[in-house]
Amino acid sequence: MNFSVVTTQFWSLVLQGLALGLIYSLVALGYTMVYGVLRLINFANSEIFMLGTFAVLWVEIELLGHPVAAKPLGGFELVYTLVIALVGSMIACAVLAVIVELVAYRRLRARGASRLASLISAIGVSIFLMETMRMFTESRPRTAPRLLEKWSFGEIAGANFRIDTMLAIVAPIIIFVILDQFVNRSRLGKAIRAVSLSEENAKLMGININRVISLTFLIGGLTTGAAAFLYTTVYENTVFNVGFNMGIAAFTAAVLGGIGNIRGAFYGGLALGMMEQFASAVLGSQWKAVTVFVVLVLILLFKPNGLFGEAVQQTRT
Amino acid sequence: MNKKIVSGLAIAAATTLALGVVVASPASAAKKTSVTLAFQGPLTGPDAQLGQDQFPGAEWAIALYNAKKPAVKINLIKADSQCDGTVAANIAPGVAANKAVIGVIGTSCSGEARNSFPAYKAAGLTMVAPSASAVSLSDPKAPDRGFPIFHRVVAHDGFQAPALVRYATKGVSSPKIYLVDDQTTYGAGLIKYALAPAKKIGVVGTDSVPRGTADWSSVASKVKASSANVVIYGGYTVEAAKFFKALRDGGYTGILAAGDGVNTSDFPDLAGKAAEGVRLTAADVPFDSLLTAAELASFQKITGVKVPGLYSATAYNAAQVFITCIEMGKLTRPAIQSCVNNTTFTGAGGSKIKFNRYGDIIGGADVGGYLVKNGKIIYDAIA
Repeated sequence: MNFSVVTTQFWSLVLQGLALGLIYSLVALGYTMVYGVLRLINFANSEIFMLGTFAVLWVEIELLGHPVAAKPLGGFELVYTLVIALVGSMIACAVLAVIVELVAYRRLRARGASRLASLISAIGVSIFLMETMRMFTESRPRTAPRLLEKWSFGEIAGANFRIDTMLAIVAPIIIFVILDQFVNRSRLGKAIRAVSLSEENAKLMGININRVISLTFLIGGLTTGAAAFLYTTVYENTVFNVGFNMGIAAFTAAVLGGIGNIRGAFYGGLALGMMEQFASAVLGSQWKAVTVFVVLVLILLFKPNGLFGEAVQQTRT
Repeated sequence: MNKKIVSGLAIAAATTLALGVVVASPASAAKKTSVTLAFQGPLTGPDAQLGQDQFPGAEWAIALYNAKKPAVKINLIKADSQCDGTVAANIAPGVAANKAVIGVIGTSCSGEARNSFPAYKAAGLTMVAPSASAVSLSDPKAPDRGFPIFHRVVAHDGFQAPALVRYATKGVSSPKIYLVDDQTTYGAGLIKYALAPAKKIGVVGTDSVPRGTADWSSVASKVKASSANVVIYGGYTVEAAKFFKALRDGGYTGILAAGDGVNTSDFPDLAGKAAEGVRLTAADVPFDSLLTAAELASFQKITGVKVPGLYSATAYNAAQVFITCIEMGKLTRPAIQSCVNNTTFTGAGGSKIKFNRYGDIIGGADVGGYLVKNGKIIYDAIA
């Protein structure tokens, strides 16, 4: 046990926990959105994230021609490069998510297959994507060029306000606000909530169920793509199985907050990020996973639907 | 124990022995015009660089031997076990079943070696490893030791770890050491053997971070809080690159050091600027420093490799062990085994190699210290 690190590095750990947790939250959205309408876990979401990280690399290195050893960019070129990488990753992930829905869910649903069948087909798609990438990359890790110089706004109480950390905090918050407004205010958002409440009744009201389901996959893909961009920008590397750990963390975050619940994904991710940072700092990194899952089990014992309850409660608000 | 099995084993052992004696006799040896050696190590996968760096050493030694037009030629085959024990357990029985194979140059990783032992022990197939360095492989008390088939031409981590601590703290006034391992057999083992010598100097913290961890910022915060000025990592390249980047980005300015698991030519690419000045060790001295200009030219011509990679010298030595025995007319697995156990061999640069009962080199071997400079790993000094 090492409590001195908490006294000296408290705000630094909080800041890093926020950044890590919000990246988890974005991927957790990919799970939670789909669960909200289908009551199914989209196990392929972790591999959508993985392909997103490679999409960022592809955009930066191949499309815009910045080799791995490139010097950091500045000014307009930096902004433009990062925006293209972000948009590229979001589009790639969204398209992929919609394709996954078509291949692994829609046909099975149309033929009245059991829910378990879709679960297995999603796992199948996930393994297919991961193994394909393994062959393409020969299992080798890839590095992203450091286009964003990691300069700091300054240090307050030991917390280093570094540009990449700030980006990983601010961007997800903006995305969450937009998504929350979209789901609660727009017509399509209303349709998503309707399907989430009752698929049968929504159908009777003339809502095109398939379109709504595709839309939720699309939104989940967009946020997962944003997470892939932030991950690659902050950690500057990826590998074919990067989705595995991220998937487990994001899924845990979604369950912690209450799966199917958008705000739950947000706070679940944050809670997970904080717990990981502090457990690793105080108890040692070998205790990180143990701490996280002990806390998860304890919370589920007392609040079986997670911190913020399941989708149905949320969509009523 | 089951009596049937025991007697079965006894018969099998007796047959092998008898066959060994018969085949090893000069009359039948004359019939053989070629034998096969297998190189086993990672040739694909995340740790492929390790095996790709070593293979040319063995390839060159055997090409030189075959160029002398000997009565018995040597074929070299590749067995790719990806630095992964599970893969090794699957491919080792295949290598053992290939009757032509009389010896294995390998393995590169310790996990590969351990999981290959059952197949090779049953087949009586001798291994000479260029870089598998976990202490337990040759520990008489370890249940997973490789006795009697395992040998290695590299110093084990009981030598490397103290040398790593020495080299990491070299020239540092009042060193405060922070030790981090990756929870693997190799990484945790290396740090275990580094802990005692490091404690004599001053340890301010330790941590153990599983492979695959993306976010190292909390470890970086801890290192900062401990005011350490020497960080030693026991693990492999990919994780080291993430860790060292997180430390440098977090404002750490002290020494970074790691063992031979990180000493691969792709490390500077993966770690970028954070790789600069990193101190690495390996129980190996660069092959080109042992070769004459003409020999280096021949190496480059035959293997197509410009700069011999890490552990190509030990791979060369491992091949040389088998070549010497084959030159002595030992052309069967049992004959090779007794030859390897009982002969003194000459390695690259004229070094003498003799194995003890459990497969380690008598007298140990030097541990080299390496530095990353301008994106390249360069040999610095004996650590």
